[in-house]
Amino acid sequence: MNAARDLPRLGAAIAIGVLAFLPMARLPAFYDSFLYMVFFWVSLSTSWALLSGFAGYFSLGHAAFFGTGLYATAVLTTKFGWPFLPTLPVAAAIPALLAVGIGAIVFRLRRLRGELFALLTLAVTFVIATIILNTPIDGGGGIFMSAVPLPAITATPNGTIYVLGFVLCVATLAIAWWVAHSRLGMGLFAIHDDEDVAEAKGVPTLRYKLIAFALSAAVAGAVGGVHAMYVGFITVSGTFELTVPLYVILMSVLGGSRSWFGPAIGATVITALLYAFISGGEAMVGRAIVSVILISAILWLPDGAVPAARKWLAKHRRASAKQHVAEVAPVVPSVPPVADTVLLQARGVTKRFGGLQALGGVDLDVREGEILGLVGPNGSGKTTLINVISGFYPLTSGSVTVAGVEVGNLPAHEIARRGVARTYQIPRPFVNMTVLENVVLAATFGSLSRPAAEIRDEARHWIAFTGLSGKEDVLPAGLNLHERKFLELARALAAKPRLLLLDEVLSGLNPAEVDNAIRLVRAIRAQGATIVFVEHLMRAVVELSDRVAVLNEGKLFALGKPREVMRDPRVVSIYLGKAYAA
Amino acid sequence: MLLEARNLHIGYGDAPAVWDASLDVDAGEIVSVIGPNGAGKTTLVNTIAGLLRCRQGTLRFDGADMTAVKAHAYCSHGIALVPEGRRLFPKMSVEENLELGCYLPSARAARTQSLERVYGLFPILRDKRRQPAGELSGGQQQMVAIGRALMARPRIVLFDEPSLGLAPTIVDDMFDIIVKVRDDGAAVLLVEQNVLKALGIADRAYVLEQGRIVAHGLPDDLLKQPHIREAYLGV
Amino acid sequence: MPSATLLGQALISGVLAGGLYGLLAMGLSLSWGLLRLVNLSHFALAFLSAYIVYELGTTYHVEPWWSAAMVVPLMFLIGAGQHWLFDRFKVNELASLLITFSFAVIVEVAIQLYWTADFRRYETEYATRSIKAGPFYIPVMELVLCIVAGLIAWGTWLWLRRTYVGKALRAAAEDAEIAAAYGVDHKKLAYLLSGIGAAYAGIAGTFIALIATLAPAQIWAYLGVVFAVVIIGRLGNPLGALAAGMLIGASESIAMAVLSPAWAPVVSFSVLIVILLWDPDWL
Repeated sequence: MNAARDLPRLGAAIAIGVLAFLPMARLPAFYDSFLYMVFFWVSLSTSWALLSGFAGYFSLGHAAFFGTGLYATAVLTTKFGWPFLPTLPVAAAIPALLAVGIGAIVFRLRRLRGELFALLTLAVTFVIATIILNTPIDGGGGIFMSAVPLPAITATPNGTIYVLGFVLCVATLAIAWWVAHSRLGMGLFAIHDDEDVAEAKGVPTLRYKLIAFALSAAVAGAVGGVHAMYVGFITVSGTFELTVPLYVILMSVLGGSRSWFGPAIGATVITALLYAFISGGEAMVGRAIVSVILISAILWLPDGAVPAARKWLAKHRRASAKQHVAEVAPVVPSVPPVADTVLLQARGVTKRFGGLQALGGVDLDVREGEILGLVGPNGSGKTTLINVISGFYPLTSGSVTVAGVEVGNLPAHEIARRGVARTYQIPRPFVNMTVLENVVLAATFGSLSRPAAEIRDEARHWIAFTGLSGKEDVLPAGLNLHERKFLELARALAAKPRLLLLDEVLSGLNPAEVDNAIRLVRAIRAQGATIVFVEHLMRAVVELSDRVAVLNEGKLFALGKPREVMRDPRVVSIYLGKAYAA
Repeated sequence: MLLEARNLHIGYGDAPAVWDASLDVDAGEIVSVIGPNGAGKTTLVNTIAGLLRCRQGTLRFDGADMTAVKAHAYCSHGIALVPEGRRLFPKMSVEENLELGCYLPSARAARTQSLERVYGLFPILRDKRRQPAGELSGGQQQMVAIGRALMARPRIVLFDEPSLGLAPTIVDDMFDIIVKVRDDGAAVLLVEQNVLKALGIADRAYVLEQGRIVAHGLPDDLLKQPHIREAYLGV
Repeated sequence: MPSATLLGQALISGVLAGGLYGLLAMGLSLSWGLLRLVNLSHFALAFLSAYIVYELGTTYHVEPWWSAAMVVPLMFLIGAGQHWLFDRFKVNELASLLITFSFAVIVEVAIQLYWTADFRRYETEYATRSIKAGPFYIPVMELVLCIVAGLIAWGTWLWLRRTYVGKALRAAAEDAEIAAAYGVDHKKLAYLLSGIGAAYAGIAGTFIALIATLAPAQIWAYLGVVFAVVIIGRLGNPLGALAAGMLIGASESIAMAVLSPAWAPVVSFSVLIVILLWDPDWL
């Protein structure tokens, strides 16, 4: 019996059993009511965290979805005579559609994504509230729910509502657990840390955000539907007031919004606190206290209690961060297996930013299996070319084909799927994921789907290949620059790319580290990858490249063997000036 | 000695960029720092301008210890920066950009005079003075950046890769202007990729490679040594 | 279809209402555009000012102008104080949003505790006066509000455009590092701007006390509209905020006259969505 795994599961099973059958114990109504509220807040805060905690897109509009679901049930039962239970799927579906609509507009914007999303969701809440208030949906008079018959799941209506709330709570936690452990969750966590890099590693960011948002809204809607029966008399102001968004944010922030159970812990604690301190009717004082706690939490505990606890535990078993250069096994230098087939073909690649032309029609063929150095003076367009090939920028005109497939204007994650990987000059690891998790993500989204165990082994292989074994459970903050650059490489390799684009991988390294890196690049090519690398350290370029491409003023200026190209008087002149070349 | 940097160690996070760099600039001199890309030239000049802190080493300007001085106080000592890539305020007009140069009260008093001087040096800016700076061509933007520095009535002007992205004919004019800036009274520290131009106008020069100063001396002497060729071309 | 007179009156009312939107939007726009901080507490501060003016007026019979003279500097200090908090804890944009949101809730609760949720009306003789221009009625107080809003917008615009401090703020918003290299002390200026934004909320609040009926929940009624106004008027542009406010006010008013009052909030929201869809880089 594996204690670490089985004990929590046993505990959960017991808890579920006890809670499920509690109504039968016929305890005073207070307990049913209190526990229902706990279930209520756990469901709402956990569902909020699905998008806002996991992916980091703070929504201030959870009340919009909750309220929409609540009113859906209320209207369908009172005005259209529907039985209660069938209204719940509708109560879930309408908010989900609303979420997809909002997301489809806002998630495409690149700038100010976070704040705009937060404010837009808040504004949506008020608009929906106004629409409901001013139309026959509510019309201002509120809706009485007491006449609506409940299915007789238990002996009393209170018991039935309790059970419904409980079922929803367990379902929500199950959904959150599933998401957190799935590809979707992995992608969302990556989006949280660095959305652009996630996209470049193959995560379909737009789709995942929409899914998470829709899921979050659907659960909130279902919770609303059940709550309609609990409340009895529904009003617009009671439903759409700020309590819901404020409390769910606090509960998730307090508990730790990045874990599937953090919000649940926060919700339980806060609900208990509120019940203990506030005796009926003083809801507004409760709001003030919650606000104060939220401000304090943001200022002092920005990640929440669960991560803080985790960090404290992790301190006791952290791998020692010794300063040593991870040694890469020397590779037997083989004759470069450069084929004659062209892997990457760029034709007339042009890129303009407003009035500035960064690339003015680049024609370049990269042969399969070669190491091509990409050099040129500052401002010549080298990094722009890498950005265009990897899909970070769309082309203004021209074409880029990889293995015969046109990739010119595909989104970055599609290009990553087609076997193109890149590293960044300043390493951009996912800061809240360990080394292993970083590489696993790249392997998961890099190409075809494979079983999880296989992906883990693959990831471990690449971590060992780059000399980072032993640091698998370390967060990137615990690595030095050299190691972080190698993590970049491991991440890129885990996707098994055919074409690897390296952006100044040697900058900032000392001579011993540079030698190590050169050995690694050679080993990578020996594995079968084609490499294009941008570099300023000329000695390394000359040593490493099969061919060198010189860019100048956004155009390909020279192409050929390193020593020939770098001695070509025309090339010398663009670096050192005309007279020097003579 | 106007500017004295000794044993500067500069880095970003834990990535060291410059090791143990020392250089001097005296009043009335043009000193060039040349080196290939990635050598650390911008890091070095940004530290002298106050944008970055060095980890170790000393920086003295006209006797004052600059390491304790706040970033926004460097200008009041008489140091003006013409940054790499110009870094104008693109939505503000040309004239507003120039006026930012004389933001400091000491320079404000001479605003009209300074503006006249800048428009005299760069007549085309007078025509474009109400246009948003972001709409100008590269060469014109460079003029604005230099003008902005001059508006501060500095004692030393730091030029970071002024020839970057400029057409060859304009580059020649740019270097003539740099000489004029020195002739008008400010010392010049010029950081450049373009070796010939930079050495052509310098009184003294330093060669920076991979974060270290590998050679320094008179331009003619440096041209005769192999350092430059190896650093730039790897051969 | 309502008559021309009705439409005309609606237009006038809408434009005047837009003056308040613009004034409320100005502080938020300046803060978001120039400091990259989203300050949602301005709404609450405006209402707090309104309630204080109301209290001073009804209980102590202080003329609103004198009340304003006391309240506005108080708000300035609160705004600067908020910035101290942000600076001390190195708060980012999103966190500033949440913190100011929470702060607004605290203020709302405080208002409700002291003044209860009952509607409050500051009865003055100015409030009911109207000028008759042809077939139209122009409420005096709202006209004064618009004129004041216009002066403030214009004055702020001039301050940003013509003074060294204003230019320094705009420059620092575009490139704080280089602005510092030329002597701009961004931190000091940020305190000034935060205070000014809050002071504008105070001025808006004074007029709210004179024009509207007060209730704590009203704080949030403006949020959706003002947010739309800030974006449509473009960040950091006081004249834009005022113009957008009047545009939205007029659109809402006409929509209310032609369709029904229920649809007013939807108008601002719809305009916003159309703009964001048409040009995502509008911001």
